[in-house]
Amino acid sequence: MFLAWQEIKRNKLRFTLITGILMLVSYLVFFLSGLATGLASLNREAVDKWKASAIILTEESDKSLYQSSMSIDQLKDIKAKKTAVIGQLNAIASNGDNKQNISLFGINKEEFLMPNVTEGRAFDKANEVIADDSLKDKGFKLGDTLSLSSSDQQLTIVGFTDHARFNASPVLYANLATFHQVKFGEAADQKKDQINGIVVKDDPILNMYKNNELDSIEIESFIQSLPGYTEQKLTLNFMIYFLFGISSIIVAIFLYVLTVQKISMFGVMKAQGISSTYLSWSVVAQTFILAFIGTALGFALTLVSGAFLPAAVPVSFDLALMVFYGLILMVVATCGAVFSVLTIVRIDPLKAIGG
Amino acid sequence: MAVLELHQVKKSFGSGHTKVEALKETDFLADRGELVAIIGPSGSGKSTFLTIVGGLLSPTSGDVIINGKNLTSLTEKARSQIRLKEIGFVLQASNLIPFLSVANQLKLLDKVKKGNMSKTERDQLYEDLGIADLLMKYPSDLSGGERQRVAIAKALYSNPSIILADEPTASLDSDRAYEVMELLKTVTKQKNTTTIVVTHDIRLVGYCDKVYKMTDGVLSSAIEKHIKRPQTVFEEKVAYTNH
Repeated sequence: MFLAWQEIKRNKLRFTLITGILMLVSYLVFFLSGLATGLASLNREAVDKWKASAIILTEESDKSLYQSSMSIDQLKDIKAKKTAVIGQLNAIASNGDNKQNISLFGINKEEFLMPNVTEGRAFDKANEVIADDSLKDKGFKLGDTLSLSSSDQQLTIVGFTDHARFNASPVLYANLATFHQVKFGEAADQKKDQINGIVVKDDPILNMYKNNELDSIEIESFIQSLPGYTEQKLTLNFMIYFLFGISSIIVAIFLYVLTVQKISMFGVMKAQGISSTYLSWSVVAQTFILAFIGTALGFALTLVSGAFLPAAVPVSFDLALMVFYGLILMVVATCGAVFSVLTIVRIDPLKAIGG
Repeated sequence: MAVLELHQVKKSFGSGHTKVEALKETDFLADRGELVAIIGPSGSGKSTFLTIVGGLLSPTSGDVIINGKNLTSLTEKARSQIRLKEIGFVLQASNLIPFLSVANQLKLLDKVKKGNMSKTERDQLYEDLGIADLLMKYPSDLSGGERQRVAIAKALYSNPSIILADEPTASLDSDRAYEVMELLKTVTKQKNTTTIVVTHDIRLVGYCDKVYKMTDGVLSSAIEKHIKRPQTVFEEKVAYTNH
């Protein structure tokens, strides 16, 4: 560590360049991880809010809540500790000035799908909704009357809740009667038993129903099946994994060049009896110091720039995940020192002193 | 007992018709407090001799014994430990570590040798070698002579029994060269070490207790010598001409 730190102190420009590159790579990794988390939240936060273990949908719906359609009578076949029915549809909501894609959830107020209210009040009667508070940034406010595409029904925002987006759309929560009115219009009375699914809280989730037409899906599996969710997550994660590899290669090249420049110096030191192990550890320690400083700066830069991002950018920083990625970056960057270590081990002190 | 003994040491490179005998059968002894010079032209086998003595090169046959330990029977790791603790190297271009201050060059040795020199001993060494004022400087701030003095300090740092100097004055002008040799002679006597200087510069032999001549891999017997340091440029030229 002594030799490593002294060299960094003496050759500040050279090592600032390496640290700068590592900082930028880590900045990119942290930002991409923030983007991945943010985009994932856009899709799943309303589902996470349920804190449920599974959702029961029809077999033929292929895990799609929207495509699933069942009778509320099927609730009696479910053997679970807690159940909650849900109806769901997608629409475009307008308050006259602004339009926004929304997802309407029809729920029973007394069941566990009922969200917390952060502003205003809970819905009491027909056509009242609680809206996700991201709609406030889009120009929607308490008391707004909303008209929905493909429905003559008008809804009123009576409250807001937080963290309630589903498949990238803000959620409007209404009672089941309102949901049926929006979905079926004049036929609502005939279809008042229709729901999309049943959310359950239980453990284990197997054998909780006795009906072959239904399928019990674990919540994580349900989320993975949301349209585009897995593809988007895989793409961003691949970019992050490639960046790990790239950072390791960059560090390896830089350090190898630096080591080659110091071959004769290392050779003399080996001739004087300083072991390859000491010199190798010095290079590894140096890499770790550079990786640590670069990653820490990248971490700080990410948080600072994150504070200035507009709300429209779907970035959400998960600090625990960032620390985990930071540690991986430091480890893979340090692995980049392997080539330098091999070079040091192979240095012949005899050649270095001109023997 | 001699500090350094070589018994029938030979070194050859290659085989068959490309075989070169860099060092022919050699016997050699050196005691504590002796400053020994090995002189000879380039390619005569001086460096081969020095690298074998320093445990950097294994002889084809024969034994190299340092303080009773036979180097030829030791592993590379054990030889490395002997180089670290019992041998000090002074090389042609001083080979100081460019990014370490003088103080840190020596501190590094404290770390790798697990600190076997007290502060008093260290300060005395700085005084003896005249580098006490250079401790905060870096090699690029030092003159050639100052660099060699620091290199000698490094070589002496762990009180080694042997100092091996390979062309220690090659990059220095005459005055600096004599200054370095004077210093080597002083520390050899003061510290009671064995110093072997390999050089092709015959001006330096006047400082040595024994002088051996290496020619085509053959080490001659010790030459009885008392060549004095040339006092003038004319004397220096005469010294060159005579040898």
